[in-house]
Amino acid sequence: MTISGMLKAAIVATIGFAGVARAEETVVWWDFLGGGDGVRMKKLIDDFNAAHAGQVKIDATTLEWGTPFYAKVQTSAAVGEAPDIMTYHASRIPLAVQQGVLQEITADDWTAMGLSQADFAPAIWDAVTIDGKQYAVPLDTHPIVLYYNKDLLEKAGMLDENGKPKGLDSREGFTATLQALKDSGVTFPLGSVTADGNFMFRTIYSLVGQQGGELMTDGEFLAGDNGEKLANALGVLAEWTTAGLQSTYTDYPATVALFTSGEAAMMINGVWEVPTMTDLAAQGKLFNWGAVELPVIFDKPATYADSHTFAIPANQGKEMTPERRAAVLTAISWISKNSLYWATAGHIPAYGPVTDSAEYKAMEPNATYSSLTANMIFDPKSPLAGVAGPIFDVMSTYFVPTVNGEMDPAEAVEMIREELNAL
Amino acid sequence: MLTNRRKDAWIAAVLVAPFLAIYLLVFVWPTIQMFGISFTNAPLIGSGDWVGTENYERLASDPRFRTAAWNTAYFVILTVLPGTVVALLIALGVARLKGRLQSGILALFFLPYILPVSVVYLIWDWVLNFQFGILMHVLDLFGMDRIPIMKTREWFMPAVGVVTIWWTAGFSILLFLAGLRSIPPEIYEAAALDNAGRWTTFRRITWPLLWPVTSLVFTIQLIAQLKIFDQVYLFSQGGRPNDNMVLVYYVFQRAFQQDQGGRAAAVAVTLFVLVVVVSVLQFQLLRMAGGRK
Repeated sequence: MTISGMLKAAIVATIGFAGVARAEETVVWWDFLGGGDGVRMKKLIDDFNAAHAGQVKIDATTLEWGTPFYAKVQTSAAVGEAPDIMTYHASRIPLAVQQGVLQEITADDWTAMGLSQADFAPAIWDAVTIDGKQYAVPLDTHPIVLYYNKDLLEKAGMLDENGKPKGLDSREGFTATLQALKDSGVTFPLGSVTADGNFMFRTIYSLVGQQGGELMTDGEFLAGDNGEKLANALGVLAEWTTAGLQSTYTDYPATVALFTSGEAAMMINGVWEVPTMTDLAAQGKLFNWGAVELPVIFDKPATYADSHTFAIPANQGKEMTPERRAAVLTAISWISKNSLYWATAGHIPAYGPVTDSAEYKAMEPNATYSSLTANMIFDPKSPLAGVAGPIFDVMSTYFVPTVNGEMDPAEAVEMIREELNAL
Repeated sequence: MLTNRRKDAWIAAVLVAPFLAIYLLVFVWPTIQMFGISFTNAPLIGSGDWVGTENYERLASDPRFRTAAWNTAYFVILTVLPGTVVALLIALGVARLKGRLQSGILALFFLPYILPVSVVYLIWDWVLNFQFGILMHVLDLFGMDRIPIMKTREWFMPAVGVVTIWWTAGFSILLFLAGLRSIPPEIYEAAALDNAGRWTTFRRITWPLLWPVTSLVFTIQLIAQLKIFDQVYLFSQGGRPNDNMVLVYYVFQRAFQQDQGGRAAAVAVTLFVLVVVVSVLQFQLLRMAGGRK
């Protein structure tokens, strides 16, 4: 017997004994949560494993967010090597269903989990539903918010009596706040991820939504005056760049660094950066900070949001045992019901009873920006939509030159419309 | 000594068989399949319907394919000849050194070559990052405007070209050094006796005798740079990948991002044909140029 042979035998024996002794179900888990929220998810998983010792054990792996994650899921599901459970963006569910990557979450599954439609907001429930069937269990919604440095705003006299930035209600007001910050000596009044069109999609889509605009109507992109609304949204950002009020050609890590180092006074970013701030603040390495709903630049408040969900991959040629499925459902159910802790990662839990609880309502900064939940807009429901999907990709190409002042907004919209309709 | 021809052939076949089997299985067979897929509308996984040459016809009017083809050509121009020249110059310099000093200097030039591309990316991001890069602080020092090098069209390809030459020159230097060492010293001694100057020695002796190595380096570089992907992918992350598109990246994008296996295969076949044609042509040209001397 070779050494590797002996090793294998030993491993098989160990697993075999463990199986006989405890009948523990191991659930293979993949996620793409690499940031501060990933640390919190690991804690939730540890807590779950501790609470279910001997019954269910989650074996979790974190993979690279975006295209690498989704390409791996698709290829591994095709050969029966996908995990038992994975995180998935709600915006990518239409594409996933078309690709046949996801298993349906059946009525029996919902009963087994002790969850139901009534526990979720209608928009979120709709986001996981295709042709009347559900393909995922929503975990959270994660909008973008405006982070701000209270110390710098106060110095510029731009903090109101509630400790929020002034001028959040109009384009003129917000531009004036940015200008006042600039005049008070701040290098970048607003830190924006201007080098990354993928990220800017969230900000720009929010600004389009603030004018009541839509990306896709009846399968056509930017029909009617929607193109003009997109040009308006791009125009504001380009104007801030020209006036020197916004960081230019800044990639994602640099944007966060500009804000946390105090070079940028405000930052538009996802709620998933909340843990970064709370952790730095806890170590005494951060200024006084806050996070609020995006300013209303146009007619009405609107904020882009996506949802993290749990999905069960459709492994080709590999039937999931009833025991394994039950274990997976136990895991999803437990984490949904304990998602109050997930809210410390900045996200807004999808499970209604959690967001209705008094503890959640007292949680900061979530409570301050939770007003935005009434104004959230999601991706169009199309296989072309979703993070790192084709729509994201086409638009990002033209966002970068436009928001950095290289290209005229109207020209960019023309190109975007042409390319999107050619998809 | 007597040899048994038949036995020799048999042994040869046995020795070659494992390689041949693997080569057929993981290279030739997938390549044949790729040609097949390129005529279908297959997604990334699974098969599709026959669409004839539609995938190829679409390439002609596809602006992103044009960007990718142009950027790839531009990158080849930026790196192949300059990369070869830089490596030759460094090799000539290193060849003049002796003993430990020579090994030391050679090691320094070779060091970047052993780095994985992700490390190369991180090192250069620290240097070139628009907000925090070392180079930007140097520009500040001289009162010059900062340049978002990896975020603008004009600077991106030249910068990636410089990084690539820095990264891969070590290997070419090594090939050149081996070539220089194989030139017999007697020839140089004879030239010195005839009072030949440095330039004449280089032009009449070193250059022609080094020619086979030069053309080899050139060909290796050409094929490698036509297949550029990693550096472009990493440096345009969180930036503007579609403006910096190169052919292999386009294959990746069509297949993995847009789930269009058929169209991706058509691009891959085009690149495959391009690499074969260009490298055969170039090798023939170089051989002819070498043969004239």
